[in-house]
Amino acid sequence: MNLEYKKSIAWMRENLFSSIPSSILTVATSFFVLGFFRGLFGFAMASDKDWLSVLNNMQLYMVQAYPEEDFIRVWISVGLALVFAGTSIGLWKSTEESSLSDVFSKFMKVSLAFLFFTVVAPTFSSVTDNDGIIQTEESFPMETRLQLLIPSAILVVVFFVLKNLKLNYKFNKSDLLCFYLAIPIVLLWIIKLPTIQLDSSNQRIIPDPLMPIADTTKIPWTIIFGLFLAFYFIGSRFKDSKNMKRTMSISWVLLPLFIFSWIFKKPEIDLPTILGQDIPIFIGIFLVGALTITFINNPIVEKYFSIYLGVLIAITGIALFISIPILLKSALLLLVLFTIVIPAVSSSAKGKRNLIIVWGVSLFTLSVLIRGGSSDTQIIVQQQSIFGGFSLTWLLAIFGTYVSFPLGVLLALGRNSKLPIVRLVCTGIIELTRSVPYITWLFFASVTMAVFLPEGVNFELVVRVLMVTAFFSGAYFAENIRGGLQSIPKGQYEAADAIGMSPFQKTSLIVMPQALRAIIPTLVSSAITAFKDSSLVTIIGLIDFLTIGKVIIGTQSIPVNFVGHDRENLLFIAFFYWIFTFTLSRRSMKVEKRLGLGER
Amino acid sequence: MSKKAIVSLLILSMIAVACATEEAVEEVAVEEEHDHSDESTLDEVKERGFLKCGISTGATGFSEQADDGSFGGFDVDFCYAVAAAVFGDYSKVEFKQLTSAERFTSLAAGEVDVLFRNTTWTQSRDTELGNDFGPTTYFDGQQLLGRKADGITESSTLADIDGLRVCTNAGTTTEKNITEGAGLAGATIELVTVEAFAEAVDKFIAGECDIITTDGSALVGRRAVNDALNDWVIFPTSPISKEPLGPTYRSNDSAWADVVNWTVYATIIADEYGVTSANVDSVDTDALPELGRLFGANDGELQTKMGLDADAFYNVIKQVGNYDQIYSRNLNPLGLFREGGANDRWTNGGLIYAPPAR
Repeated sequence: MNLEYKKSIAWMRENLFSSIPSSILTVATSFFVLGFFRGLFGFAMASDKDWLSVLNNMQLYMVQAYPEEDFIRVWISVGLALVFAGTSIGLWKSTEESSLSDVFSKFMKVSLAFLFFTVVAPTFSSVTDNDGIIQTEESFPMETRLQLLIPSAILVVVFFVLKNLKLNYKFNKSDLLCFYLAIPIVLLWIIKLPTIQLDSSNQRIIPDPLMPIADTTKIPWTIIFGLFLAFYFIGSRFKDSKNMKRTMSISWVLLPLFIFSWIFKKPEIDLPTILGQDIPIFIGIFLVGALTITFINNPIVEKYFSIYLGVLIAITGIALFISIPILLKSALLLLVLFTIVIPAVSSSAKGKRNLIIVWGVSLFTLSVLIRGGSSDTQIIVQQQSIFGGFSLTWLLAIFGTYVSFPLGVLLALGRNSKLPIVRLVCTGIIELTRSVPYITWLFFASVTMAVFLPEGVNFELVVRVLMVTAFFSGAYFAENIRGGLQSIPKGQYEAADAIGMSPFQKTSLIVMPQALRAIIPTLVSSAITAFKDSSLVTIIGLIDFLTIGKVIIGTQSIPVNFVGHDRENLLFIAFFYWIFTFTLSRRSMKVEKRLGLGER
Repeated sequence: MSKKAIVSLLILSMIAVACATEEAVEEVAVEEEHDHSDESTLDEVKERGFLKCGISTGATGFSEQADDGSFGGFDVDFCYAVAAAVFGDYSKVEFKQLTSAERFTSLAAGEVDVLFRNTTWTQSRDTELGNDFGPTTYFDGQQLLGRKADGITESSTLADIDGLRVCTNAGTTTEKNITEGAGLAGATIELVTVEAFAEAVDKFIAGECDIITTDGSALVGRRAVNDALNDWVIFPTSPISKEPLGPTYRSNDSAWADVVNWTVYATIIADEYGVTSANVDSVDTDALPELGRLFGANDGELQTKMGLDADAFYNVIKQVGNYDQIYSRNLNPLGLFREGGANDRWTNGGLIYAPPAR
């Protein structure tokens, strides 16, 4: 009996069987978990399940009717996201290290778990046949089990031995992460999957032949992974650069917007409009902003600044409701936001120069995004929208969070405002939105909203849904943020007042950073909710990720019949959502740790 | 200027960008105002350059979306046929997948030009909802499905389902038909309503209900797929309701109605002459003057007066096929055959009949 063995016995006695009630709980819970696993496994392995209905429809799940000749755009979108992820992992490279024996111990645990589940997996599953009689069939025969058991047992032994060699090479945890990610890429090239093949008379060949994964899947993934690694190394080179980190954070915010407005959409670009409209607007608005920044400390300008700001706000307000290019409207809006903050931040010459650069870059980004977003798409699909399946789910989730978060901040600040009108309006919006179920809002978007809109204005259904989603989750964000605002001691406000901060400075530098930091867990759970709630759009006829599996795949009869295979698809969908939400919540836990939440 | 200020500024500008981009998306959707009142849908469709066709989100054999995102099915093929007639190119269609709740609102709002969405032609839908219905493309009827093991036979009637649990989809005419029918037959049933037909079948297989009921075509299809020809029985032989399914368009639009109707008729007439997409080029139009007129070989006046090209219906047959081809291609694999049913040619005792082209 070595020490380790004794240790684990002691651990079990202490944690699992410390008293009679806890022993009962341990046994009962294990029993329940085992039963659940066996049920699920039996369900999945039963012969009436056709898992190829999931595998064969991956393209439909991801992009629905997006044309194959433009798939390069989808790959670029995915690739960009992973390149950014690689750079970020490099930039924020972990300082922790694990030794080789830790790695082997992890591998041993995984193989042990695999071994355990292979042992306890049920041999038989039940299938209801057409007579309504439940039959038991052997779905996981002994030889299959042995084929899995022997290699996994060998792996366990190998890793156990390797672990106990106490190899003390240290590896960086981020490097290890990249290594782990390489495993699925290597698997792509090795494994063979059953694939649906049709014979000359268009009948499915049974049993499905084992084929290597299609080149159109594995080559792009391999290239993307290569880029991921390359950018990981580039990122780790710059890991001490604060500027790179800052640029990266902002790029993460812009990336989805850029993907949706330019890459995925393939906007139709018309040069005369750019030359005759976009560039003049950009130059004009840029000059106004730049001049304001330059001359802000001039006594005459200072004197009339509040009048200037009032006029600007009025012009923008009017501009929103008249028919002018959308770029002009949003550029004016940005100008107003900038002009409000100018007096607070530009005092030195260096500050002014930086601010002009920031102003130029933001305005340029805005112009580029608006040009892409407001142009017609060149992608020709057979259905109304180029967004369908997971791309629609993602669009709803991203825009739901992006638009509703700033909206929530504004609503929360408005609700805490001292101005009664602002407070009333914000409270009204929040309470009205929250007191009506989301599904009702969706029906409002789908059926009723057309009545409220002015004559001739006709939004696409997706856009209407984005609008109600923005308000709905915005109201919830607002309430969460209000909770954060109220957690800030009064002394903080008073201190900010005492050193003569303007209300804007007080809010942006003292209040909001603390409030947002306090509510990160709530915000992440709101974002997860927004992601999952996007599946509700199925009831108003938008084809999102869930609808593909639930409605469309279960009706396919030509050329391969998948009628009636909706349950395995539902299980797959559940698993897919779980992966995303689980990753998201784990990431947020890391962020919390980094911010030292709950350690004050 | 402090770094914090730069960061906060950037965040603010990002917020603005986010807000503005949303508006940008909105702006795209603002369409030019169209005055529907004095313009036929036909002109609108021609001007737009493609047809907007409303189909079901998913109905086996009728409107399906394949794994590569392409559409197919009986209803979908008729959409293709209309596009072939209007543009001479069947692919100029944009499909809109509609739930049964939103199909008529969508049509009324002009979001689709025509519905081929297994929609039953009823008096109230025709008269109250501002729709007109075209020629029936598929004669369906509600039937019931039970297990032979439960003592159900093909000669069973509604009276035989007394005391049984019946599953059907909620909020449709199907539900109303079965309640009314069972009431008249004096049978007390326990009605279990589910959201979609697929769920009803799942419940039936799991033994949570003894009978499922919906349109006969769906029942036959499901029985074939589940390989249950010997175990599941569809009854009664003559359906308990009439469900004529066909195209739906906005009322008072004769020019457009003619185009849709005669596209359907053209497929039926071609079937009567045995003209398929394979042999349409070798048809002797001098010997068959009706086909000559229909395909615009002799003179295309009939079509040009409708606002179509002279060879519009030739394109329909060439690119999509005749009625029988459309039917066999989509519904035969599901075990639905024309022979002896209501959807057979009128010369064989069926109901598929077209007025003459002259």
